[in-house]
Amino acid sequence: MQFFGGSEISPSPPAPTATGNNAHMIYVFNRNGVCLLYREWNRPLRTLNSQQDHKLMFGLLFSLKSLTAKMDPIGADKGNLGVPQLPGQGCSFHSFRTNTYKLSFMESPSGVKIILVTHPRTSDLRESLKYIYNLYVEYVVKNPLYTPGSPIRCELFNTTLDQYVRGIA
Amino acid sequence: MAPVGPRSGDAIFANVERVNAELFTLTYGAIVRQLLTDLEEVEEVNKQLDQMGYNIGIRLIDEFLAKSNVSRCVDFKETAEVIAKVGFKMFLGVTASVTNWDADGTCCSIVLEDNPLVDFVELPDTCQGLYYCNILSGVIRGALEMVSMKTEVTWAKDMLRGDDVFELQVKLLKQVPEEYPYKDDE
Amino acid sequence: MGREVSESCVDSLLTEMVSSYCNRLYANKPELAAPRIEAIGYQVGHQLSERYTMERPRFSDHLEAIKFICKDFWSELFKKQIDNLKTNHRGTFVLQDNKFRWLSHMSVDPSSENGSTVEDNSVAAGESKATQATSMHLYFPCGIIRGALSNLGIPCAVSADISNLPACSFVIRIKA
Repeated sequence: MQFFGGSEISPSPPAPTATGNNAHMIYVFNRNGVCLLYREWNRPLRTLNSQQDHKLMFGLLFSLKSLTAKMDPIGADKGNLGVPQLPGQGCSFHSFRTNTYKLSFMESPSGVKIILVTHPRTSDLRESLKYIYNLYVEYVVKNPLYTPGSPIRCELFNTTLDQYVRGIA
Repeated sequence: MAPVGPRSGDAIFANVERVNAELFTLTYGAIVRQLLTDLEEVEEVNKQLDQMGYNIGIRLIDEFLAKSNVSRCVDFKETAEVIAKVGFKMFLGVTASVTNWDADGTCCSIVLEDNPLVDFVELPDTCQGLYYCNILSGVIRGALEMVSMKTEVTWAKDMLRGDDVFELQVKLLKQVPEEYPYKDDE
Repeated sequence: MGREVSESCVDSLLTEMVSSYCNRLYANKPELAAPRIEAIGYQVGHQLSERYTMERPRFSDHLEAIKFICKDFWSELFKKQIDNLKTNHRGTFVLQDNKFRWLSHMSVDPSSENGSTVEDNSVAAGESKATQATSMHLYFPCGIIRGALSNLGIPCAVSADISNLPACSFVIRIKA
């Protein structure tokens, strides 16, 4: 029997390895909130069905964007809490960290949102997310067989993404 | 304010994969000709070209944003400039200019003096009413819609109809914020 | 070097042209969409070959003309030559491009594995649908080759085989 808070669960995971394999999962949403891609590499604990999971992730970002803009001490363009913004309006957050993971986020002005969840001690991943956005353009948007707005099912994209993400440190 | 992106598309155009423009020009011409044969009505061809452009625009916007590093398209004036100066250069290798702003900054003209779509093109008399380059207006409308701007794009001048330049009038109808797509009880 | 445009202009125009004909103008009627897409390619090939052969002596035989397609013509369009040319010496030629540019961004659904018999059927249907969608994109280059050769006075039929993406083989059968 296991007790809550038992020693089985260590509060912080092992240090990130320089050789990579630090990514847990990725989400790509489009401007309509459709989850175009969910891919996981290392996610031992899962409690929700995938639909709930995507909805929660989208909601988390939606609220965080609104809150971070509202609390901005410098920028004037704050918007109102819970009121939708234009992509790129106001300030924007790019990552947060807990003791067990780090979430990195980018949003293109066209509303494409890329969320990468990694080991908490991975470095600044803003350039990596831009790189992934470029992969999305090359292998998804430019794929003549891809219909915009539909879930991504492109082998070339998946393999290239897997390979790139493996190297993230 | 942080810079929104590069001022000119020259550097980007120099770095993208490029192809012989003849192929592009002739392919476009052949498509227009085939549509004229299949659809018969010139008005219907204009509509199809615009629709094709729109569908291209909603794809092309992401390549534009990814390669130009533009991080923000919130201001219509700024966005129109970036599309004309960087967008046209990056894809067609030509520069467009933005003029004729109206007083409240919601309507402007994009002017194109050099247009690779019409190299070697002469319209026969049977094509009266055809907006040969209508695909371009669709591309702009589609691309802008993806950055939350609903617009109306119409031709003000057309060199194939005897004007001195190509001029597209772009009118901002509204900016559509992002919606929260889920209902609470879902 | 003449005028150039970004490769994306051509790519997106072709993608949209095929999708317009297959999904809007002649939805679910591939037998009507295909010849029209081929006709667009034919016209382009015809005009291009006219331009590229303007200052050149006439070709002495079929092989000469085919070699021109493999080398000069292909280089103008794709900045590379055809990788392999085979012929049965009876009017059939196979031109293989190991990395055909217009297929280099094409990628299919990887999720076509596992499942029960019922699903097997739908997977097979999905697969043939994907194959059909892919093949729709080949009518244009086939038309280009046919148009180019026809301009050189060689009537022929052209088909394509893509069993190994992004490689593509074009089969030219010259009409006697």
